[in-house]
Amino acid sequence: MYSKNLRKFGVVLVVSLILALVASCGQAQPSPTASSPSPTASSPSPTPTTAPYTPKAEDYIIRSTEDWPTYIDPAVGNDFSDSISLVNLYDSLVFPTPQGEIEPCLAEKWDISDDNLTYTFTLRQGVKFHNGDELTAEDVEFSMKRLLTIGEGFGYIFSPYVQDCKAIEKYKVAITLKKPFGPFISALPRFYILNKRAVMENIEKPGPYGDFGDYGKKWLLTNDAGSGPYKVKEMKMEEYLLAEKFDDYWGGWDPDAPKFFKLSATSEPATEFALFAKREMEITSELLPLETYNSIAKLNGADVVAFLNGNNFNIMLQTKKPPTDDIHFRKALAYCLDYDQVISNIYPGSVQSQGPVPTVIPGHDPNVFQYHRDLEKARAELAQSKYADKLDQYPVTLSWCAEAPEEEKVALLFQANAAELGIKVEITKKPFGSMIADAQSPETTPNASLIFVASHYAEAGAMLMSRYHSSNCGSWEQCEWLQDPEIDRMIEDSLATVDQQERFQKYYAIQEKIVDLCPTIYVFDQAERRAYQSAYVHWLPGEAAKTNKVYVPIMGYGMYAHDMKVWPEKRAELLSKP
Amino acid sequence: MSLLSFLARRLALAIVVLIGLSILLFLIARVLPGDPARIALGPRAPEYAVEALRKQMNLDKPLYTQYYLWISSLLKGDLGMSLLSRRPVQDDVKEYFPATFEEVLLAAIILSVGGIGLGILAAKYSNSWLDGIVRIFAYLGIVTPAFVWAIMLLLIFGYWVPIFPIQGRISPGVTLPPVITGMLTLDSLLTGNWVAFWDTLKHLILPSLALAMAPMAQAARIMRSSMCSDLGADHVAALTAYGVPENRILTKYLSRLSLIPTISIMSLDIISLFAAAFVVELVFNFPGLSRYGMQAILNKDLNAISGVLLIFGVLFTLITILIDLIVAYLDPRIRLQRKSI
Repeated sequence: MYSKNLRKFGVVLVVSLILALVASCGQAQPSPTASSPSPTASSPSPTPTTAPYTPKAEDYIIRSTEDWPTYIDPAVGNDFSDSISLVNLYDSLVFPTPQGEIEPCLAEKWDISDDNLTYTFTLRQGVKFHNGDELTAEDVEFSMKRLLTIGEGFGYIFSPYVQDCKAIEKYKVAITLKKPFGPFISALPRFYILNKRAVMENIEKPGPYGDFGDYGKKWLLTNDAGSGPYKVKEMKMEEYLLAEKFDDYWGGWDPDAPKFFKLSATSEPATEFALFAKREMEITSELLPLETYNSIAKLNGADVVAFLNGNNFNIMLQTKKPPTDDIHFRKALAYCLDYDQVISNIYPGSVQSQGPVPTVIPGHDPNVFQYHRDLEKARAELAQSKYADKLDQYPVTLSWCAEAPEEEKVALLFQANAAELGIKVEITKKPFGSMIADAQSPETTPNASLIFVASHYAEAGAMLMSRYHSSNCGSWEQCEWLQDPEIDRMIEDSLATVDQQERFQKYYAIQEKIVDLCPTIYVFDQAERRAYQSAYVHWLPGEAAKTNKVYVPIMGYGMYAHDMKVWPEKRAELLSKP
Repeated sequence: MSLLSFLARRLALAIVVLIGLSILLFLIARVLPGDPARIALGPRAPEYAVEALRKQMNLDKPLYTQYYLWISSLLKGDLGMSLLSRRPVQDDVKEYFPATFEEVLLAAIILSVGGIGLGILAAKYSNSWLDGIVRIFAYLGIVTPAFVWAIMLLLIFGYWVPIFPIQGRISPGVTLPPVITGMLTLDSLLTGNWVAFWDTLKHLILPSLALAMAPMAQAARIMRSSMCSDLGADHVAALTAYGVPENRILTKYLSRLSLIPTISIMSLDIISLFAAAFVVELVFNFPGLSRYGMQAILNKDLNAISGVLLIFGVLFTLITILIDLIVAYLDPRIRLQRKSI
């Protein structure tokens, strides 16, 4: 009897718990703590009565998601999510415009010495860091030295060129180069300025950098020392970065600008879709499958846009290994690929590449030769190859990246197209780490490697240097092993040319020569696809894509939240509709 | 052999197992393709930075030296530096392990209670419509992987009927409880923070349910089969003849017997939950150790791989010892057999 009553009590208790749980699930969000108001994760409840919706500060938020992990230390981060975080937390000396030009930012103006080796920047006065300190030349000097010493992040852009960085007056800093570097100003958006005092107060000793200990790397994992429009509110290493508006930002604020910016580690398509549909995400990542974008496009108030992001997709042909060491063999392959199939069925929205430099990157040669599928020309080229009669003895080995599943389709298409010429292609799926390892020597680099490449900074010289200069052989970006002294000389000469027009003409000549050598099959310029809540968010790249306006992308700058606008009342209106 | 000496013998064997495991983990981590220093710094980092990191990680030393240095640090409680998070692995473990542990713990409770309960129901009403429903659920559960359950639950309860949150451990704006165990639900309970308790429990429900569905289905089937086969036993007929109520026979006498094979299978399922948790944590953006461990493997973060797998190895060993003890408790024949040895 007693145990029967006990059982009944147990059942009643469990049922009550479940009911209480379900009831509490449907309640409004718990109110934020008094000390630190935080943006709500759920949708604001639309008021059922006639009382107008009054947005709270935390409703002015832009939420997006990217691949993780994210490093918010300017001397460490250099990936997509890192760049997005850095452009919002920090400032650079210069800023890239949507049209691909460079305008002053922290530096009001700059002078270049006659020998093109010294750049003297006059800094804007009164710029505040997030902790209230004023930004001076000493901080710029510290930031460059820190970047070069640590050698991670975007340090690779500057370490070959920068000799020294010195504060010569309180608001004047001189950067001295080892050799003339024409695109130096174009590259500066990748150099972010940190607060020296804040970093030095948080260094940990002992560390690998002598007196500088760990150079503040541990502290900067979850904190910022920037002057940018947003400052770190919460950085949960495996979850999200939440940044809040810096009210004293020198660049001022639009009243509709977001007060919070959140970047999450969510990368699962179903989760992104659900969050976006519930209006708990404003801009998706660029990594979703096409089917998910198509589903999102059907949602009210949402737009899916695609814009060229400055990356291109290549089939890199190893020029030191048979049979791809033969120029005619390579040209035969370039003529046999069905480019239209790739663009229309595998990567819709992309455009066929024209040469080694993507079309949106300044310095791209618009007149460079472009291969198209032409089996007659392919056969004619193959007939001139020394391997024409020995195709069965010289199969083409091809690697594609396991982390990009769609590449398999391109590999299979390439194999089928090559088979039409009697060329055998042996396909191998490899993790990117393995492809990096293979690229380190000509013996292990396969005949063909399928790889996406991005420009280090927004100028053709960056692409040409990383892709074809001999000093970069052994890197995953250069599986061709071209090692052409003439190309090297031309690249070095172009990068040393300070006058932009002259430099661009030299870029054009390099592109024509490279295309003539055909070390690479340039398949397509990548279209970055994202969905955004166009009904209540103004997002510059999205608007430019919809109106076909020019937008020159630099990784991360497309997500510069300071220039976005958000209207929470329109969001509430959208949510109140069925 | 008494239970105590049995326990002592198992723990001693466990140490031997863990030593062997450490060697295996060490070697496996090093045969994975890719240069860990290059992967950590990115493909564009200058060679001098990569070389410096290789030296820092002792990758320039012979394998046996690397193992010795690693084991020496491990015995001091130092799991090394994670290349992925750029901080000590033990800091990562302290932060992420409690999240996965409470997720798996709730999943284990759900699968145990659900699996055993459904199994008993199906046995009691065998060959009825209820048994049919449990059977269908069991088949669905067994063939459906955890990530499919996760996505289905996310869409059903996070989007179509949005009653549960679908990402993270706690809602923004909810005061975090002070860290005692690291498990937010338990810490909230211990500090009387009911708002945080309900909120963190809500965040746990979908991931834990997704994890529990497949093993719960399997446990239900095993429990049902075991009970049905025992229903025809002589002692059951005797109990029935004595007038013992059917429910009492099922719950007090039969279930204890049937639990033995069920618990043995469930223990393996519970251990495998830590591995299955990786995809579930990805779907729900749940910051747990399983997701961290998988990212470590993909990025060849040697110290993190070794640290995570070692912890799971220790957990596996402890759970199997615990299950052995439970089985010995449930089945007196095992205890008596051991005493007579």
